[in-house]
This record gives sequence, structure tokens and C-alpha cells, in this order.
Amino acid sequence: MRWRCTISTLVFCVAAASMLINACNKKDVEKGTTSVSFEVPAGFPQPVYDFSKNPLTREGIALGRQLFYDGILSKDGQTPCASCHQQFAAFATFDHDLSHGVDNGFTTRNAQALSNLAWQQSFHHDGGILNLETQPLAPLTAANEMGETVAGVVAKLKGSGKYQQAFRDAFGEGEITSQKMLKALTQFMVTLVSANSKYDQVKRGTTSFTIAEQAGYATFKAKCASCHQEPLFTDGSFRNNGIGINPFLNDGGRIRITRNAADSLKFQVPSLRNVDLSFPYMHDGRFYTLQQVLTHYRTGIQQTPNLDPALQFGISLSNTEASNVLAFLKTLTDSAFVKDPRFAAP
Amino acid sequence: MKSFLLPLLFFILLLSGCSKEVSQQGSMAPTATLKIKFEHQFKGQPLELNTNYQNDFGEAFSIGRFKYYISNIVLYRGSNASVLPETYFLIDENDTASKTLRIPIAAGNYDQMHLLLGVDSARNVSGAQTGALDPLNDMFWTWNTGYIMVKLEGSSPLSTQPNNRIQYHIGGFSGAYSALRQMETGFPSSVEVKSGQTLTVTFNADLQRWFNGVHDLPIAGQTVAMTPGPLSARYADNAVSMFSVKDARVQ
Repeated sequence: MRWRCTISTLVFCVAAASMLINACNKKDVEKGTTSVSFEVPAGFPQPVYDFSKNPLTREGIALGRQLFYDGILSKDGQTPCASCHQQFAAFATFDHDLSHGVDNGFTTRNAQALSNLAWQQSFHHDGGILNLETQPLAPLTAANEMGETVAGVVAKLKGSGKYQQAFRDAFGEGEITSQKMLKALTQFMVTLVSANSKYDQVKRGTTSFTIAEQAGYATFKAKCASCHQEPLFTDGSFRNNGIGINPFLNDGGRIRITRNAADSLKFQVPSLRNVDLSFPYMHDGRFYTLQQVLTHYRTGIQQTPNLDPALQFGISLSNTEASNVLAFLKTLTDSAFVKDPRFAAP
Repeated sequence: MKSFLLPLLFFILLLSGCSKEVSQQGSMAPTATLKIKFEHQFKGQPLELNTNYQNDFGEAFSIGRFKYYISNIVLYRGSNASVLPETYFLIDENDTASKTLRIPIAAGNYDQMHLLLGVDSARNVSGAQTGALDPLNDMFWTWNTGYIMVKLEGSSPLSTQPNNRIQYHIGGFSGAYSALRQMETGFPSSVEVKSGQTLTVTFNADLQRWFNGVHDLPIAGQTVAMTPGPLSARYADNAVSMFSVKDARVQ
């Protein structure tokens, strides 16, 4: 008798619970969206991005992906986000030091590779953007990039039957706003997680490094990892790495944001994930090969104001060490990421 | 009996798990109204756009555009603060309706009001916003995150910029050069606002003080200010000094 009581109680509780959980999620049912959970890869820290204010949905991500690949966001209708952020180049611009914007314009900085953005505190080479959601406003409105206005883009989206439906699918009824557009773009961008390189597989114990890669990893940890910290391969800081100012661009980097002389010539340490695919390198794309980058650190450091103390004497690497480090850096290539159909043009 | 109580308890627990938003005004229902009016002037006369003026340095200029943010409105009685939730307003000289704010408040006695000239730092970095804070209002810097708190544009023969433009975009929300300025306004005496009544507070903002309210910033010295920094912070000091309460009454 007692058993039966308990069992019936349990059954009742489970039924009640499932009813109530449904009630809590009713909003989603009404909107017709399917929620997507964000998976934090093993060994990664908790993301910085606040998902609570922009919960991921299948429809939101799909809309963001559509927007990312659509020239409607640009003045000439032909310059989508993806024109500078190409999947096969790890979402940087393949083989370009500077990218092309509308009206045959050149950008003034090398397009950054995109991955693991949910862990990033600030964006752009100078860290001027403090929230991923507002980042797209920069290329969208820059005259030499997408050349549009926020109002112009919102008006074009409102006039598109395709987008009216896609915004309704993602956010329910109500008019199209810049906020919804930015949240959708962000939903797509945070899904660009790269955590399946050979390096990651070695970390998970499913494969192993070659002897050269293993030696390169040891050297990397000893001589590079203070700035390029695992597992994101950046510490997010701003540093002058001794490349010297580009006299054509006269780009002081971080000082443009802080107006502080101590930040002159400092740029944000980039992640090295997929680094073999995201050439050329540095804020102005001056180095086309990783070999050139290593040569810079070994022998090319220019003594300029605010030079990072760790680079005062360069980084000493023997030829063997350098070639091993190169072998290691190639293990950061995530070929599944650059071929993932979920990230490709819809 | 027990077998009934247990699931009931479980039910209640689960119900409480569905979160409800707690009103920031507490139990006091907003049955009265706070109306804030902004009157823009130049040397005591109603401001007119695109009209020739002379500042206290004898410099000729005209104003084509004047916009600013008011946010974080708090009413006080003594040390009791009622924070009015989600108060973000963009006031635009060119848009008459924008110069009168209407906010539901609880009936009660009030003796002070605080406003922020600008958008609080948290909201500058909280991602995509909408309404008054929508970036399409052209008050958001896209390359250096943050709102333009106050925007004044016009022209002056002293300017060598294209079309003799003068352009002051004042912003920055953190550090020593923050352009955020608190406006603290005491009412002459405690005002009682009953249910159904409206407390109307009228501000004057005299643009004469833009150039020398606190710091001397003649047009000859500065025709353009476009980035957060020490100059922007000085203009912010001048900007907040433009505002004064003309009147507070209950109707």
C-alpha cells in the first residue's frame, strides 16, 4: 500500500513537472522557435557573451547566417559580411593584406579571422568595440567597408518579404528593428566555434602530435604562450609587438580608442586558431607567411615607444625550434570548422 | 493525505520557479504622472535653428542640430529614492514631441529629482538596444563603442571645415574623461502628487553656456569634437551647466 502511494505520488509529480515546464516555455511554443543550447568545448572557460539576453534559437541562427551572407546589408548590395570574412580562410579575407569595401575602397586594416567570439571581451585590432552585438555596426556604416546607414539597412529589410518572414520566424510578430538584426547576426557569429583542430584532438587524447609538433608545442609554451594563451590562444591584451608603424596607414592602434600615449602602437593579441589559413598577418597584413612572422620575432623587432617588455630582445629561437613551432601552429587548423556546412552560405 | 500534500508542495515549488518580473517601484502602483519639459534657449530667448547667433566671445555661429540623451530618472523624498525604470529619452530640438517626457510615477511627496545627461555606462556596453537607444538614431559611435551623449552641429564663419561646419559630438562613459553628468534638482519645497495628478518639471537649457558655462571653449579654438577624451569632458561640463529648473508644479 505504502509503495503504491509513493509510486502514484511520483507519477503525479513527474506529470505535474512536465506540464509546468511546458508552461514556463510557453513563450517559445507561441513563437514557434526551437531553442539551441551553446556547448562549451572541454577545457574552454565560460563564455563572456551574455546569452540570457539573446537566447539562441534555430531560427535566430538561420536568420543571422542569411544576413551574414547577404549584400543587402551593404550600400551596393554586393558587399556582405562574408565578402571579407570567408569561411575557407577561417573567416578572414584570403590572401589580402587589406580587404575591399564598396566603391572599390580599401579597408585600413586586415580583416580578422572569426572564431570563438563568445569568449572575446573586445573586438577589432584596437578593441574599440565592447559587445559582439554592436560590432556589425562598424563595418556596416564605414564608408570604405559596407557604406550603409543603420536606418537604410533596416528599411531595406522591412521592404523584403523574405526577411519579414525570417524575422517573424526568429523573433515573433512585431516590426524589424536594428536590435533584432544585430541579435540574429550575433547568434550566428557565436556559433562559429573552432575547437576541433588536431591540437584539440590531442588534448582530448584522441590523437597524438608528431615529434616535431610536440617539440614545437613545448617551445610555444615556453616562448609564445604568455600572450597567446591556451585554449583561445590569446590573452586579449593590447601590445606593441615591435613591427613599427606603417607609414601609409599611420595606424596607432589602441591609442585611437583610449587617447592615451601609453597605448600608441598597441594592437590586440590575435587568437592563433586556424592561423595557417588566415594569412596575411598583423593589423596591416604586412607578413604573408608564418615564416616571416617568426623571423620578425627572432630578428626584426623595432625599438619603438611602448614596445612590449617581453619582446625587448626579440624571441630567440634556433632554426629547429622555429620549424617545430611552425609545425605546431599548423595543428591549430580546424578543417572541420572551415568546411562546416552550418557556417557556409545558406 | 500525505500523498496529496507532497505533489501539491511540488507544484507550488515549480510554480515559483517560473520567474516574474518584480516592479522596481515596489508595491506602489504608478497612478500619477511625471511630465518633464525641456525648453531650449539662447540668451533667454527660445532657440531657433539655423539662426545667426553670437556667443560671449563675440563669435558668430548658427545651430542646425541639437540632440541629447536624458536617462536614469530618480525621484526622491528625503533619502527615499524611487528609481523610474527604463527611463531613456532622446531629446531633439527638431522634434517638438521629444521635448516633453511623460513617465508614470507613484503618488506621493517628492522633494528632489536626479537625471543623467547621457546614457549610463552599463547600457553603453550591453549590446544591441532599441527605442531611444536604437543606433539608427545616429547617436551611437560604431567604431568606438558608446553613445553620443550630446550632439550639437551648426556652422560658423570661423570654421575652416567643409561648409564652415562646427560639429560637437560629446561622449565617453568611462574613466577620467567620462562625459556623463548627473543633474540633481531640488524642488523649492516638497511637492505632493496625488493619484491622477501630474507633476510637471520644466527645464531651461540655454545654449549660450555651451561655449563658456564652465570652461572657455571658443569656436576659434575648437570647431570639431568627435571622440571621448579631455575636450569632450570639458564640453560635457558646459553642457550640463546649461540646464536649470524653471518650474515644478502639480496639476
